[in-house]
Formats: sequence, structure tokens, C-alpha cells
Amino acid sequence: MKRTIVAIICILLAKVTCAQQDLLSFDEHDKYIYYQVTEAPGISADTLYKRAVYFLKTAYPKLKLKNSNEKNISGEGKFETYGGVSILKKESGEIIYELNVELKEQKYRYWLTAFAFTPYVKDRYGNFVPQMGINIPLEKAESKFDKKDVDNYLNQTGTFCKQFGDRLKQFMLNPPKKEEVAKKEEVTKKVVTDKW
Amino acid sequence: MKKILLLTCLFVAAVFTFKAEAATMPVDTGKAAAAPAPAPTPDPPLVFSGSVDTYYKYDFSGHANIPTSFANEQNSISIGMVDLGLKKTVGNASFVGELSFGPRGQQQSIPNADPGLVSLNGSSVTGTAYSSYHIQNLYVSYNVTPKFNLTMGYMSTFIGYEVISPAANFNYSTSYLFTNGPFQNAGFKATYSFSDKVSLMAGIFNDYWNVYQSYGRVNTFGAQLMVVPVKNWTAYINFATGPASGTEIDLTTTYQITDAFKLGLNAADFSAGNGFTGGFSGVALYPQLAVSKVVTLGIRGEYFTTKTGDYLTAGPAPGESVFGATLTANIKAGPLMVIPEFRLDSSSKSDMFTANGGALTSSASQFVLAAVYAF
Repeated sequence: MKRTIVAIICILLAKVTCAQQDLLSFDEHDKYIYYQVTEAPGISADTLYKRAVYFLKTAYPKLKLKNSNEKNISGEGKFETYGGVSILKKESGEIIYELNVELKEQKYRYWLTAFAFTPYVKDRYGNFVPQMGINIPLEKAESKFDKKDVDNYLNQTGTFCKQFGDRLKQFMLNPPKKEEVAKKEEVTKKVVTDKW
Repeated sequence: MKKILLLTCLFVAAVFTFKAEAATMPVDTGKAAAAPAPAPTPDPPLVFSGSVDTYYKYDFSGHANIPTSFANEQNSISIGMVDLGLKKTVGNASFVGELSFGPRGQQQSIPNADPGLVSLNGSSVTGTAYSSYHIQNLYVSYNVTPKFNLTMGYMSTFIGYEVISPAANFNYSTSYLFTNGPFQNAGFKATYSFSDKVSLMAGIFNDYWNVYQSYGRVNTFGAQLMVVPVKNWTAYINFATGPASGTEIDLTTTYQITDAFKLGLNAADFSAGNGFTGGFSGVALYPQLAVSKVVTLGIRGEYFTTKTGDYLTAGPAPGESVFGATLTANIKAGPLMVIPEFRLDSSSKSDMFTANGGALTSSASQFVLAAVYAF
């Protein structure tokens, strides 16, 4: 029975790992891309634009928005990758990406592309910092790094993109209302200690 | 029953994941100014890292000759150190603790914690036996703002190109500039980043370099200006001065010219303090070329000269000079780096090295094969 459980967990983990990398496709320039079109029934382009800008500025404050008008938003961001397992898990590098969001009546599309990896090195003070001047497009990463490492970077890129897309969709379609947030904050339990 | 337990675990994990994600969602107010602040980024985990290194060295004179730090045991498979580092950041506060064990990480690079009397064969003698705290880095820091950081403790020096950890150096043997410069400075420093391209550090440090505890004064002033003149080129202009520790001005710069080619340079001038006269100056150039994804070749060419006076260096006598050329390969196998290295040093006078029979000579050469595993 134990073996069966372990086997199932292994299969599930393997499947999830593979799945994250498979989320990325190649575009017409042979660059990795994460591309999604999402229907937003009943929501105007103007509202979608406001929600998208607000979401990006608050949920991803380090994202640098380069261009923003009522039809499209573009920017550049980065996220950290991790290597190692258990207590040896630590930052292995960072991946920069370009983000584009386009908005229309009742739908929007977005894509993340131009992924480039910068490895981290340990500096003299014990911190992991970007290795200056090394900025390898993920498409060419196998020429510089081990395949196992590249697969790990691609998996983490897929995971990041999916999480980004899921969060964006949740906010664009069902943004929490201000009152709901206030209500949640009010329900903090209070204990009266002088009556018992 | 086990199936139910497993499913329950998965369900609980899924619920927690969903809850954590939902908690970070911003709310839609339509007005950014009225919106609640976004949820803070979770703190990174405790980071545990380090390295171990071992080497074989053969000096062609048959005995150890080159006086720079580390890799100095002749015709011996020797150990460097086990280096263990911990780092944790919570909010704006961080600490780093880095311990080292082994010759490179103890008596060859950090101070004797108790250099006084020790017991030897039942009697007290002046201490030469080593009593170490094993500390390479021990400091706490706080980001007052995203651009302004305060740090206090015992830290690797901000001066110079090379460092103690073999995992962070390209060459396994070290330069004269490194050997004769500071290894660590204990002190308090403030760093302000004007932009991604310019930052300034200023601090006050203990009266001597490489001491856990001052000899009564905290009067070494240190500063570092970092500039990025063009993309992929970083330059550090370093300055440290104190009545006891002397004055060192240092330029450390690295330019990653292409993905494969990097050029580093270190130049420094030191004038002794504490009543000594003399000092040293020197320049070292570090071209490195990645010839494949596992092999990088590099040369270190260093010219090191001492000033006339009574200050003695680990190097040529006062008023003399030495040129060192080191050809090194870094061969990567996952976390393991194999480092074969050939080094030839040549001094201005025939009084620095000794030949096979013990006669004074002006040159020395050695081969080193090192292995460094970093995690």
C-alpha cells in the first residue's frame, strides 16, 4: 500500500513538473512565449484596462511598465529561480521577461516572452547576486548550462507564467470589492477576559 | 484509510495554497490612491550555502617558494577549508553567519581569537596554538529604505578583487595584492544607492584589519564608490585609512565584454601606518575566456612593487618588485570546479625565491590542481 501511495505521488509530481514546462510555446521568432486569450463577458475594454493597470502596479510592484495606453500595456519584469532541495534550496538566478497585455471589449490577451536568465553568484559578503553581464535567452540556455538546470529554469518559468495568468484572470473577472476586504478585516476574533 | 489520509492531506494543501494566493490579491477600487497596499512579498527561506576545497601543489624548486596566501603546502594533497554560510532575511532585516574550518579558513585567513598564553606540555607559553572563532562573516544589516542600508559586524573586506572563498575566485592561488591587503574589516557601514549605476558606502571600522576585536579604537575610515560606466562594466573605488592600519586606495573593476570574455583589473596603493614607513602598490589584470560551457581559461598577470621603508610585505623586500603570471583553467562539472593552474613569478632581485639547491634566485614556478565543490 505504501509503495502504491509513493508511486502515485511520484507520478503526480513528475506530471506537474513536465506540465509547467509544456505551458511555454515558441512564437514565430522561435522565442519562448506564454500566450493566453481570456474572455471577459460583460466587461468593457476601459474597465479591463483600469483593472489590469491596477493589478500590475499592486501585485507586481517591481514590474517596469514601459508603455501603457487604453488598448495595450507593456512592461519588463523579473523573477527569481531557485535551485537545490530542502535546506539547500536557494536562489540560483533571475529571469527577466517582457509582458504585453492587450484589451478589447469583453476580452483581453496577454503574453510573456523574451525570457533571459542571469545566474547568481555568491559574493564576498555571503549574498547571492546576479552575475554581471551574463544574460542568456532561455532558447540558447542549453549552450551555456546543463540540460537539467535549463529544464528547471523552464519549469519555473512555466509555473511563474501560469500563476501570473491565474492571478490576472481572477482579478480581471472577479476583483474583490473594497467592502469585502473591509469585512474580512473586521472579523478578527475578540476575547473578553474580564468575564469568564 | 491511507487513501483517505492522503486525499485529506492533498485537500488541506490545496486549501492553504488557495488561501495564501487569495490573500495576496489586490482589491479593485478603480483608484490607485485609495487602494490598500499590496500584500508583502513572503520572506525568502533560510539560505544555507558553502564550499569545500582541496588541492595538490608542486613547486618546481622542490620546496614552497611563492609567498602568497593559500595553496602553499609543497608536494602534498592538502585541504583548504569547509565553508558554511547561513543567511536569513525577514522584512528589511538580514543576518549572515559564515563559518570556516581548515587551514584556509582558520589560521591562514582569520585571526587567532585568543593569542595570549596557552598551555603546552603542562606549562604556559606564549600562544601560537590556534584558537579560532571560525568566523568569516558575521553581520546584521537593515534596509532603512530600499536605497539605504546599514550593516554592522565582522565582514569580508570591501577592498580588492580576490576573496578568501575559493568558490568566488577564478584562480586558486592568490595575488600579492590580495595577500597583503585586508581580508576582513569589522565595523559599521552605511550604503546609499543613488541609482542602479551609482552607490556610495562609508563606514567606520576597527583600528586594525583582520581582528575580531579592536585594540582599543574604532578609527579606520572606509569608503567605496560603485559606478557602472556602461552596461556590464562595474568599477569600485575603495579607500580605507586609519592611524594603525595605514591607508589603501584600491580600484577593482570588471567588464563582461561578451558572454564569453571578461576582463578584470585590480590596482592598489598602500602606505603603512602605526609608525612604519613604506608600503606597496601594484596592478593585476584578469582576462578570462569561456571556451565552452564547461571550460573557462584565464590569466592573471600581476605587477607588485614595495616601497622603501621598514614595512615588510608577504612578497619582495622593500624597494623591490615581482611579476607573477598565472594560467588557470576552470573546468565545471555541476557544482564541482576542477582548477588546474600553472604559475610563474619573477622578482626584480635574486633574493626572493630559492632554487632547488637552496641558492637565491629570481624566479619560482608551481603547478596546482585544485577541486572546489560549492553548494
